[in-house]
Amino acid sequence: MAIHIPILIIISPLLAAFLVLLTRKYKIILATTSIIISIVFILTLSSRILSGDKVIYHLGGWRGPLGISLMIDGLSFFFSLIVLGLGLLVIIYSIPERHYGRTYYFLLLISLSSMIGISFTADIFNMYVFYELLSLVVYLLIAYNEKGMALKASFNYLIMGGVGLSFFLLGIGFLYAMTGTLDISHIAERLPAAFDSSVKMVIMSFVLIATGIGIKIAVFPLHGWLPDAHSMAPSPVSALLSGITVEIGIYCLIRVIYNVFSTEAFSIIINSGHTILIVLGVVTLLFGAGMALVQTDLKRLLAYSTINQIGIIFIGLGIGTELGLTGALFHVLNHAIMKSALFFCAGIMIAKAGTREVQGLSGFIRQQPAIVFAFIIASLGMIGIPPTNGFVSKWLICLAAVEAGYTILAVIILIASAITAVYYFRVIQVLFSSPSKQNPVLINEGGQIIHGGNFFRTWTIYILVAGCLLLGLVPALGISLVKPAVSLLLYHVIP
Amino acid sequence: MNPINISLLVFMIGLYGVISKNNLIKKIMGLTIMNGSIVLFFISIGYREAGLAPILGKGTTGGIPTTIFVDPVPQALMLTAIVISISITALALALIVRIYAKYKTLDIQQLSKER
Repeated sequence: MAIHIPILIIISPLLAAFLVLLTRKYKIILATTSIIISIVFILTLSSRILSGDKVIYHLGGWRGPLGISLMIDGLSFFFSLIVLGLGLLVIIYSIPERHYGRTYYFLLLISLSSMIGISFTADIFNMYVFYELLSLVVYLLIAYNEKGMALKASFNYLIMGGVGLSFFLLGIGFLYAMTGTLDISHIAERLPAAFDSSVKMVIMSFVLIATGIGIKIAVFPLHGWLPDAHSMAPSPVSALLSGITVEIGIYCLIRVIYNVFSTEAFSIIINSGHTILIVLGVVTLLFGAGMALVQTDLKRLLAYSTINQIGIIFIGLGIGTELGLTGALFHVLNHAIMKSALFFCAGIMIAKAGTREVQGLSGFIRQQPAIVFAFIIASLGMIGIPPTNGFVSKWLICLAAVEAGYTILAVIILIASAITAVYYFRVIQVLFSSPSKQNPVLINEGGQIIHGGNFFRTWTIYILVAGCLLLGLVPALGISLVKPAVSLLLYHVIP
Repeated sequence: MNPINISLLVFMIGLYGVISKNNLIKKIMGLTIMNGSIVLFFISIGYREAGLAPILGKGTTGGIPTTIFVDPVPQALMLTAIVISISITALALALIVRIYAKYKTLDIQQLSKER
């Protein structure tokens, strides 16, 4: 039993997904229990992983390079904790909505289980299969309401995502042609030999894989699908997409950069890769901030804010020092918490006010002050103001930039934070102002809430906001989670 | 011209279709062509000149091959990739049916004007 824990963590939500289809009454209980079981399983592994150990599981007893294996190290542990924790909150937040039937929970559970699969697998083709499964489910979740705009957004994402994953698969093909294996650690061992004979193929595979994942993360020139997809989806799904799915793409990128193309022989590629990451990060950061400034739709504003934060994470990854990586990974966690809190708040506000326009939300403070204060705390975190968690990670990244000699990057992050402050304060100011006279464009998105259902919605938000404050006041908590991952990435050794 | 170059050429043709065509169905056709080219690419990686089917027993002594075998791994991978490609296509076509029922057009230029 104990040795089979890694596969059970993936199987538990997957099995529950199909059981949910059979029952009408117990769907929510089944969904939450399966996620809680997975969390319990992964917590039993936590002491081994935080001390720097790796848990390796060979599926069916076939060892690499032929068999498929699962590997849980500090990095995958960190990401799977984000996925499971936020996934549980997303399910709880969806409970009060009557409109979400069995298929909704089915899709949600499959997406969570495939994201855990991506973060655990040690086989690069398996990673592709899980990613494709995740994308397939996400296209369906975006179009779940079957509104016209949502259908278009989903189709748009399908085209972009389909092209991106084709690039990814072609890159895997090049890797297989050079090394003859698909296991990540074996590829890393055999690549240096291939590098001497065919430099172009190595570079080609790196570029293809990085471009493919870049589309899924929505880096600047490839971001076109994100604002539509993230804003048209139902609110819990938006939180899932912005908070977790994008972060899983960042996980894939980190794995590919630091574990596959990591050996000394590639130092030329890696160094230019870091520069490219920094440049892309800066452009993405400024573009996201600028576009968020002109949005009038609340959820679109939050979606562009996601692009903005991805830029910061990219800068941290591009700096590549220990401090920079710590800041980047910590910012991944913080962004997941803050952005889901903001989308949850936006979901409640939009359902109450019946409009997505920022102007239509005026005077919301009188209806639900607690939600408004939660929104304020989470947006303070996005801006990076001290008692919240966003400050800590931005500070770490700025510090790393100055230490590495890129003082200009710290200045750019500060400017972008100022822009972030402008667009969030604009929303907050509207929330506090008196209700406007003219009627905004009403949309029928409220759906039916079960009696007393707001209890679940508000408490998930309170938990997330408490997390924001806790990580801001005691950053050592988050950093101790990130530390094993960083030392594993940089030095390939146990701390 | 070897099959790998041909498959990359076909990949580019598919990408061109996805990018330049305005009709939604044609975009999906482009995506399918891209996936088909990847199948060709993988199969040609595993191809060996005059190789046998990789079955233990014939042409092997004690599990060690004595003749040239075709690499079976890419073929196994492509079975998975074909299934994925088909499910993506099916989902895309289902979305197109819904979009057409709502907007009565398949042209992406006109769709982007509608709300």
